[in-house]
Amino acid sequence: MIEEGHLLAVFNSAHRVMKAESILKALNLPILLIPAPRKLLTDCGLAIRFSEDFRDCIMQALATESLLPEFVTRYENGKFITIWTDSSAT
Amino acid sequence: MKIIDCRNMACPAPVISVKKALEEHGELQVLLDNGAPRENVGRFARNRGFQVSEEQIETGAWALSITSDVNITTSCTSRDLNSGRVLLITSNCLGEGPEELGRLLMKNFIHTLLETRDQPTSILFLNSGIFLTTDGSDVLEALEKLKGMGVEILSCGLCLDFFGCKEKLRVGGTTNMLSTAENLLSAAQVIKL
Repeated sequence: MIEEGHLLAVFNSAHRVMKAESILKALNLPILLIPAPRKLLTDCGLAIRFSEDFRDCIMQALATESLLPEFVTRYENGKFITIWTDSSAT
Repeated sequence: MKIIDCRNMACPAPVISVKKALEEHGELQVLLDNGAPRENVGRFARNRGFQVSEEQIETGAWALSITSDVNITTSCTSRDLNSGRVLLITSNCLGEGPEELGRLLMKNFIHTLLETRDQPTSILFLNSGIFLTTDGSDVLEALEKLKGMGVEILSCGLCLDFFGCKEKLRVGGTTNMLSTAENLLSAAQVIKL
């Protein structure tokens, strides 16, 4: 489900990730809600998968709705590399 | 060779007719409509160890020649008992409670199957479960991958018809109640969701 170069927006709440999915789908953005990989060990265990091409649109839409994820990670060479984190998170 | 005409028959009548005819004649040629009847009868015969060859006889109609040197009385049990783990999915939601949560849990479950060590032999989709194998489903990619890993993906033809989704099936094949019942009764383990 996760291939080289895919980005994952990982959320810290099931309600937030479901709302985010709904908003991004309404905008016809190509995303897929998937279980967060075990390696990422998140509480709600869900992430939104997307490609780099739509990163800006997706982050902008989430920011507008105050639904930014906890962090965004990119899958590269078999590893997840965090490329963005919510600076407001404590 | 005995010839039976099962064109214009509704599911599961073709499979039942073929089953009866095979018990009487051992080998036969059956005329079928394309689509689910052809798929179901072909699968039924192959599951019992018969050879099946297909020939299109006219637009939308096929002749299936079903042959075998195995006696039908023994070949009826050719699908081994205890032959695998069947996952029976009868809804597009997992569990009882808010529908939105149920849909999410089902989606999550199917995606997670890709990461599990012991995968099912087959997954049967019935009732609103067929919305997971048809247009608009969020788990088509995962189901396609499971199929590629050898998991049989089957959707109930009657259910597809009921919901007007016959042309919208996007992954796996169609099945009928006879095959479904046999699948469930011969499985080593059935897990219903």
